[in-house]
Amino acid sequence: MGRKVKRRLINVVRFFILLFFLLLVVLPIYWMLVTSFKTNAEIVDAQQITYYPHVFTTENYQSLFNMLDYGVYLKNSIIVTLATAVFVVILSIFGGYGLARYKFRGKGTMLLYFLITQMIPSILVIIPMYIVYSNMGIINTRLSLFIFYAITNLPFCVITMRSFFERIPYSLEEAAWVDGCGRFQTLWKIVLPVMFPGIVAVFVFAFIGAWNELIAGTIFINTPDMWTIPVGLKSLIGKYNVQWGALMAGGILALLPTGIMFVFVQKYVVQGLTSGAVKE
Amino acid sequence: MNLKTKKKIMPYLFVLPVLILLLIMYGYPLVKSIIMSMQDYKLTSVGDVAFNHFENFKKMFSDTDFLLLLKNSLIYVVISVMVQFFLGLLLALCLKDKFRGRGIYQSIVFLPWAFSSFVVGLMFRWSFNGEYGVVNDILMKLGIIDENVAWLGTPGLSLAVVIIAMIWMGIPFFGIMILAALQSVPEDIYEAADIDGCGMFRKFFSLTLPYIKPTIIMTVLLRTIWIFNSFDLIVIITGGGPVNYSQTLPSYMYSKAFSSYDFGLASAFGVLLIVILGIYATLFLKLSNYEKAGDF
Amino acid sequence: MKKKVLSIVLAAVMTLGMAQICVAESNDSKEFEGVSLRFLDVSPSESRQAYYEEAFAKFEEETGISVTYESVPWDDAANKITVLGASDQLPDVLTTHSGWLGQLTGSEWIIPLTDYLGDSTEEYTTAVNKLFWQSEKDRYGDIYTIPDGMMVKGIFVRKDWCEELGIELDPEKGWTYDEYFDVVKKLTDPEKKRYGVSYRGARGAFDPLMTYLQNYTGGNTYDSEGNILIKSDECLEAFEKWTGLYLDGYAPEDSINWGFTEMVDNFIGGLTGTLMNDSEVAATCLANMEDDQWMVMPVPKSDKDGKLYNLINGSYSLSISSDSENPDAAWKLIEFLTRTDNSSEYCRMSGLIPIKKDAAEDEMYGEGGPYYTFTMQLNDPNLVVPATMGPFDYTDMHQGMMHEEIQKYLLGDEDAKTALYTIADELESRMKTYLEEHPDVQVETALTMDD
Repeated sequence: MGRKVKRRLINVVRFFILLFFLLLVVLPIYWMLVTSFKTNAEIVDAQQITYYPHVFTTENYQSLFNMLDYGVYLKNSIIVTLATAVFVVILSIFGGYGLARYKFRGKGTMLLYFLITQMIPSILVIIPMYIVYSNMGIINTRLSLFIFYAITNLPFCVITMRSFFERIPYSLEEAAWVDGCGRFQTLWKIVLPVMFPGIVAVFVFAFIGAWNELIAGTIFINTPDMWTIPVGLKSLIGKYNVQWGALMAGGILALLPTGIMFVFVQKYVVQGLTSGAVKE
Repeated sequence: MNLKTKKKIMPYLFVLPVLILLLIMYGYPLVKSIIMSMQDYKLTSVGDVAFNHFENFKKMFSDTDFLLLLKNSLIYVVISVMVQFFLGLLLALCLKDKFRGRGIYQSIVFLPWAFSSFVVGLMFRWSFNGEYGVVNDILMKLGIIDENVAWLGTPGLSLAVVIIAMIWMGIPFFGIMILAALQSVPEDIYEAADIDGCGMFRKFFSLTLPYIKPTIIMTVLLRTIWIFNSFDLIVIITGGGPVNYSQTLPSYMYSKAFSSYDFGLASAFGVLLIVILGIYATLFLKLSNYEKAGDF
Repeated sequence: MKKKVLSIVLAAVMTLGMAQICVAESNDSKEFEGVSLRFLDVSPSESRQAYYEEAFAKFEEETGISVTYESVPWDDAANKITVLGASDQLPDVLTTHSGWLGQLTGSEWIIPLTDYLGDSTEEYTTAVNKLFWQSEKDRYGDIYTIPDGMMVKGIFVRKDWCEELGIELDPEKGWTYDEYFDVVKKLTDPEKKRYGVSYRGARGAFDPLMTYLQNYTGGNTYDSEGNILIKSDECLEAFEKWTGLYLDGYAPEDSINWGFTEMVDNFIGGLTGTLMNDSEVAATCLANMEDDQWMVMPVPKSDKDGKLYNLINGSYSLSISSDSENPDAAWKLIEFLTRTDNSSEYCRMSGLIPIKKDAAEDEMYGEGGPYYTFTMQLNDPNLVVPATMGPFDYTDMHQGMMHEEIQKYLLGDEDAKTALYTIADELESRMKTYLEEHPDVQVETALTMDD
């Protein structure tokens, strides 16, 4: 078998694998999308399942905005999520750098602690947390969600950030010190620009983690004007029935910000960390 | 302050913000739930909480469904993590080399990860409904089945649906993480291998894999912990049913905690989870030589 | 400049003074002026929020008490209340679901309302007094909630299917269980993807079945010593008949794991021909089906004694939490919400049957109206409200063994007797423990309107 033929074969196989993944993702999303444009009668029709809306309607989207203060939830979600993501990125940079570049007492214990926080189901810690938060007087504020999302996302983000730092050669920094730059200055001017893709990745992690969180959103928040999008969507599930159309419409809309973000950031995440100056 | 102390303090300056925040905000609830596991902690009578030694643990282990729960948990986590990992790796490998439209393709393929799990859960519960679910309809049209399958009503199958949903949501996570790691593999080592005439598989196993090993270890470890702990998909898709055939330890704990208000017992389950996962993490890190691959 | 300031100050003082006078005049209704209350809605929706916010504005105008509307999605409501209760942070007034009362009263998270009610009980309908509150008193020793509106169960039927098959149904005449099962069988036609019944297999599966079993026990659950009555051959036969609807294929195979959502969706969607559910579901049918597609039949009468055994409930009954610092003001709010004008509007909106005697006649509840069958049942002299499963907390059984044992039987893992007796034995042992701990308690019996 010639090299060229082999190359071709690999490409064909690769094409089908990529197609498989595409269908795997697109079909369920397509199903959500068409459902969101169907009338309720068509959605629950057990006699005939329709693969495109036979009666096209935007009533689900309209009712979503009429039924829920979707705009208010969107605002709350964006504020809390952005604040969390930015905060987590900053702390992860410091924490990750410290863990990657230094050996110090208690480092192993610290990492272990990080892992343990991931091991306990959040539902167990939520009652003690509620008591703490209510003593702090921050129940029913965005601050409570911000704190909760920050601490639940930090352990993973710090560990990830650390591994990104580890891939950057130490020599890069040493060169800067020789030029007379301080530690923080080096970090800011030399390391971070190279780290940009990693920072974007961590930002995306924290963003998605906070954007979709539901339990804290229902427990720490009391009044609907503070609700986030997932809580609003959850309220479409009633005692007797689920408003499928509106829920699917809401699911699609909730996906938009993250979807758009993916379009812009995926190239950074994937660009990798070895581009440009970092080659050893 | 002399240079030596400064050097000693330096690392702590970096890690302290994170550490303090996590200790203050997570430490108390964590310790509290461990203490609760040894107490007769009923929410309905929080006033008189007494230590009951290991009563809660006895109760937990003597639960008639305990072994079933453990078995379900293992099936759930092992299959979900393995399939997710291999599909994620496959996806990452296919995406490694540039092709036209890769950017758009990536943005689409990574989307499931951006869904909120209860929306995904509901969608799966609905799509796998035995009578009006779209899955049966498609399988029927394709001629794979000739009568409706009661996915959520059949022991074994109901857990399978949860696992499929979990896999669907989780592939992008591995895809992204592994892809990022793959990009950091220097091109020149492949060039050298090409000269030596290494085959594709050999290159993968002896060059690529060792290089991305730290990422793989860390992501598999964390993903296992997360999946083992997660119960939202189970609660939404099957509610653990039929009987307890799709119930796992955490989802059972969740329903126990809130149906009987017995947070002492629930915390005992929580401690058990920490122990199981702790042993797993230690063994996993040891066996995979993470110390050498990257220090831990 | 000075003059201007002076005149403003003067004006301000005058307005304040006048306001003072006004307050003095209506001192009675404004004794809680400035108090603020929290109200928790456990089933928020656009219309409910709008209704409550408008009502609260009116309430503040009348009494000077401000009310914050808090809400939590229905699906998470029970959990949220648990967390709030455990941390002593419950809102002043909370809406509750009947299934939570065992926990809420057991933990003393809500307070008795008997003293507040006083003589005003007379304003409420016989059903509220003789059935709803009597049942609360029997179980919890006191009245803890004020119903927001009354709900009874009925059987929703596909009218068009019946017409097609020549089945004649008359709500006025009613039917017996055997007749009902017969209709279920006739409506089933798997070829056409039609099944007779929206069978409930998941959580709550035991509830309607228990009512059916109580057809054979005169509506009671225990005898006066706490021995359970459903462990009889008659009840076992009834148990097999009921579950036979599933086993013999008159319900979709999938329904072994169905909850409310699937039951209702599949009835509306045209897969199942009958659905036993609360009157509240009529609103969903009204919104999603054509008028000639559905009708409501009463719950079937007993084949044994001809009585109509049916559960009645409030939808989201109102209660005052023990965390409230101002229970008197909270009571004012409940009084306001249950006032005839407000509660009539609420009941119409929610599809509930009014709680007050002087509620206006409304065509919605009259003959031909969508709620006629339900009001009719509430006025039926044969109506018996069966005893509940006990005064103790059985939430864990309700979320576990009660449907799991039935599912095990349906899956062939165990026989019918084991399934029924396991549940019955557990109930009995809990009841006996309860009676030992509370020796003064009378075992609750079935309720009728005329005793």
